[in-house]
Amino acid sequence: MERRNEILKAITDRPGTTFRELARELGLGIGDLQYHLRKLEKEGKVFSRKIGRRRYLFPKGFEETAQRLLIAISTETRRRILLLLIERPKNQKEIAKSLGLSQPTVSYHMDELLKLGVVTAEKESRSVVYTLSHDPELIARLIKDYRPSLWEKLADNLIDLLTSVGDGE
Amino acid sequence: METLLALLALILALALAGISFIAYRKSHLRPALYLVIAFLLLAIKKTIETAKLAAWIERDVELAVDILEVIVLALLVLSLWRR
Repeated sequence: MERRNEILKAITDRPGTTFRELARELGLGIGDLQYHLRKLEKEGKVFSRKIGRRRYLFPKGFEETAQRLLIAISTETRRRILLLLIERPKNQKEIAKSLGLSQPTVSYHMDELLKLGVVTAEKESRSVVYTLSHDPELIARLIKDYRPSLWEKLADNLIDLLTSVGDGE
Repeated sequence: METLLALLALILALALAGISFIAYRKSHLRPALYLVIAFLLLAIKKTIETAKLAAWIERDVELAVDILEVIVLALLVLSLWRR
């Protein structure tokens, strides 16, 4: 029981930690950790979401945030944009220049991030400045552990290709 | 050799359809959906073309293949044109 509380505390302190990281951090065996997590999930104290090749663990009450953040980090360009915004708020032009992307591609991804509520937009003189609306540490942790499959990487490139052609802005 | 190349084209078309489908699921971009349809049609076209080796369906196959070719090309144009 003490061990289970220890696991629950680790997940509560670091929402979005991965199974692998938690096992390493607490020095637990895979089977042992799996058993306790199953119990905690059954009790509704924690929940997990698999995205890419990793399973992320969250404490109860984090459902909506987890859903939004995991969708937000599911494409490579959005991960790069979020990492850039962790440093400081930026406008679309700065983001496009820093990442070597076309304006329409950045515009598409910023719209998606806005819809997900992961960033907020504020008009400053003639440009719109984007700021993260979630804990940067949590976002950085999720991105650090994200491992996309090869198919996902190819699909991400296709999304960028499709968003960079056409009418743009 | 001909069959091998046809098989390779078929595998590539299916892989591209899969990639386009993942892209569509992630982004809900309509052009990605057009690409899924286009690559699936291309796979069907290739299958029919390979089946052409059986000479008895040759005439019907020509027509089906030509129609599919036009649809595939139109979908590719559509996917680039309409964002």
